[in-house]
Amino acid sequence: MATEQGNWYGDDSKVENLRGRAFEATCLAATAFGLVSVLILLLYVARDAFRPFSADVGWHVTYAVTLLVPLAALVVYYYRSDEPAGEVAYVTSGLPIVGLLLTGGFVVVFTELLTVLEWFALVVSAAVALGLIVAHGRLRPKAPLERLLVALAAPVVTLLGTPPAQFNWLFNDLTGVLGLGVELNHQVISLRQAITMLPFAPTDWVMLLLTLVLPLAAAGGWFVGKRRESRRDGIAVVALTTVVAAFGLVAGPLLGVGVEGWVLLATFTGLPVGIYVEGVVRRDEGRAGLAFPAVAVLGVLAGSVAVDALGFSGPDAWLDWGFLVSAASRTPADAGIYPAMVGSVMMIIVIVLTTFPAGVGAAIYLEEYAPSKGPMGKLVTLIEINIGNLAGVPSVVYGLLGLGLFIRIMAWPQGSVIVAGLAVGLLILPIVIISAQEAIRSVPDSFRQASYGMGATRWQTIRQVVLPEALPGILTGTILALGRAIGETAPLLMIGAAASVRLAPNSFFDVASMMPRQIFTWSSELEPAFRHGVLAAGVITLLAVLLVMNGTAIVIRNRYQRQG
Amino acid sequence: MTQNEMSNESTDPTPSAETATSSPDPSGEPLVEQSIDVEGTDETTGSTGKPVIEARDLDVFYGDVQALQQIDMAIPEKQVTAMIGPSGCGKSTFLRCINRMNDLVDAARIEGDLYFEGKNVYDDDVDPVALRRRIGMVFQHPNPFPKSIYDNVAYGLRIQDQTENLDEKVETALKRAALWDEVEDQLDKSALDLSGGQQQRLCIARAIAVDPDVILMDEPASALDPIATSKIEDLIEELAEEFTVVIVTHNMQQAARISDKTAVFLTGGELVEFDDTNKIFENPEHQRVEDYITGKFG
Repeated sequence: MATEQGNWYGDDSKVENLRGRAFEATCLAATAFGLVSVLILLLYVARDAFRPFSADVGWHVTYAVTLLVPLAALVVYYYRSDEPAGEVAYVTSGLPIVGLLLTGGFVVVFTELLTVLEWFALVVSAAVALGLIVAHGRLRPKAPLERLLVALAAPVVTLLGTPPAQFNWLFNDLTGVLGLGVELNHQVISLRQAITMLPFAPTDWVMLLLTLVLPLAAAGGWFVGKRRESRRDGIAVVALTTVVAAFGLVAGPLLGVGVEGWVLLATFTGLPVGIYVEGVVRRDEGRAGLAFPAVAVLGVLAGSVAVDALGFSGPDAWLDWGFLVSAASRTPADAGIYPAMVGSVMMIIVIVLTTFPAGVGAAIYLEEYAPSKGPMGKLVTLIEINIGNLAGVPSVVYGLLGLGLFIRIMAWPQGSVIVAGLAVGLLILPIVIISAQEAIRSVPDSFRQASYGMGATRWQTIRQVVLPEALPGILTGTILALGRAIGETAPLLMIGAAASVRLAPNSFFDVASMMPRQIFTWSSELEPAFRHGVLAAGVITLLAVLLVMNGTAIVIRNRYQRQG
Repeated sequence: MTQNEMSNESTDPTPSAETATSSPDPSGEPLVEQSIDVEGTDETTGSTGKPVIEARDLDVFYGDVQALQQIDMAIPEKQVTAMIGPSGCGKSTFLRCINRMNDLVDAARIEGDLYFEGKNVYDDDVDPVALRRRIGMVFQHPNPFPKSIYDNVAYGLRIQDQTENLDEKVETALKRAALWDEVEDQLDKSALDLSGGQQQRLCIARAIAVDPDVILMDEPASALDPIATSKIEDLIEELAEEFTVVIVTHNMQQAARISDKTAVFLTGGELVEFDDTNKIFENPEHQRVEDYITGKFG
């Protein structure tokens, strides 16, 4: 009912909301300020790295016409009328990039770290060890203790061998005390070492085919076969991949990537892209998305032909192929980031091998096993609180820990890859633990109840129900933490990573430089070209690697959320 | 040693009746009569008889709160025993005591004895995992694993290493749970794509696949629509031919329809009356039980 003042609605009863509006505007301004300043910095760095203004205007116009305009049109089309195609475009453009990065990673591993023969020996002995363990489980399923023994001994025999001769006294003393009279005077070599010492070996590409292509093709085939419920399709995938990889014998040298290069390309880029594209074509959903990468490639090709024909010169960018594949140098034009990139990759390998198992293991213990009552429960609570605190400890402090623990006490070489990896690994360990804990906690308790109710042991419940559910979350968290690790600089300075190296490290105990350390070195060079051009190129490289890692994490997370 | 004594005792009904009568109970006199009555009906009706689960003086505490007070109860083999009562009366707690699911709750503390086939399940030498392999459980909300239908049913068989003739066993379990006809062609599909009623029958199939002796059901139909509920009820009646079924329910009509015996728990965690279902619903001993059943309280 209307009162004397008028209606209850309309101008008569305007609610006072100026303060709310002001608050909203302030929040927006704060966000915008942060984002815009980062964006400006990135643009500034990108300008230094690529120097787009050093190119002819015609060059820009040509590429705009052949590449940018068609791509922009496609994006608008996807956005307006075909959303599934947009996602297909996103994945088909991203997948080859990730595949190429992986290919590059393996090329680096095979040129710097191991020979193909060593890789072959490693994979074969690992397979033999696994085979032994599985065979024992089949033959004697009711002997858990024996099984544990086999599980521990098999890798020793096949992969590690007995300890080096310096440690033989340990064994000899032990047998002496037991009165066995057996003495060990030589190092007993493992299967792995035996294979590397064989007088004859298959050629590199055959070994790659056997130990890299076949297992990955089998994994792809299994995936396709399971999803299609057709064994035939799975076998077709395996056969096709193998044939395409073997075709490298002819195509590799012709294209100038070498047989091994072709084999790696076919497995890491060809196989996943092929499976995905085939799936899109078969489902007939978002097929238009496949046009995006095709248009991009064609646009680049057409652009380069046109630019050559018309005689426009491109930008004289700092960040070019030469920068990625050459070593640090005194002259800015020759300087590159390759050894530092290899250092970073090897550091990531160390981190993944040490921090991932330790962090996930700790998270599983804290979430699934740790008691919550009594004095032990108090201790666990204290530990959990302190893991949170450790995640906030400055990285310089972790560097100091690495210096004291690994260099002073363990006497490992200063600035070596392993020390860097372990120090930075310790730094991200709390982050990995916390994110893995979150992922495990988000597995609904009803699954655990159901599993226990079926008479599953705790271990069976964790392995078969909790971990499969939590794995995407754990992977996402770990990849994001690795992204932090790859950009961390302070610990590298503390443990004495090399300012810059001319040769990439060949083993984990070699002194190496990593990307952020190399960038830091460039920042203090006298010559301005280093401080502006080369530094910017290094920063962009680092950011690109980070972007790809985070993109992968986001894709995994999205996929996982859709299922949930 | 202890086990022998126990099994001797449990084959003989008198001692448990004595235990029941001698136990001080807050509800006082009537419970005494009632427990004698239970034994009486057992003998007179000549129901298949031999108790497979027997609680004696069972107390359960959650922290300082007592959830069950001195429960004495003998659940007969291959029958449906229903437990009814208002919310928070401890009937689910009792159910979870039987297969020691309360072990997973840190705050829970159990006193007294609970015998399964003559062995106290709270003895130190009893592994709760082994116990749960004999006593299956179906939960209030359908909780299939996010795996395929096949893998859900095969889960129990796999963890117990009974993987011979897996396909056959999965098919049998799905048929016994009256789900086979609906999922025959989609065994590889995710169990989460099924409807709620189908999911609950899948959970029942999962529980019976390992061929347990007892199936515990914690309000298995409370989250389902009437049609799915009636399917589950039909299923329970069939299952009772081979399994001992213990079911907790809020729905009194359901208890009346499907159960052979009914236990009435009332607030505070006391078992007020336990008798043949017909007697409970037609002529209960206690005024409180009658009030509850006719809806005057609770």
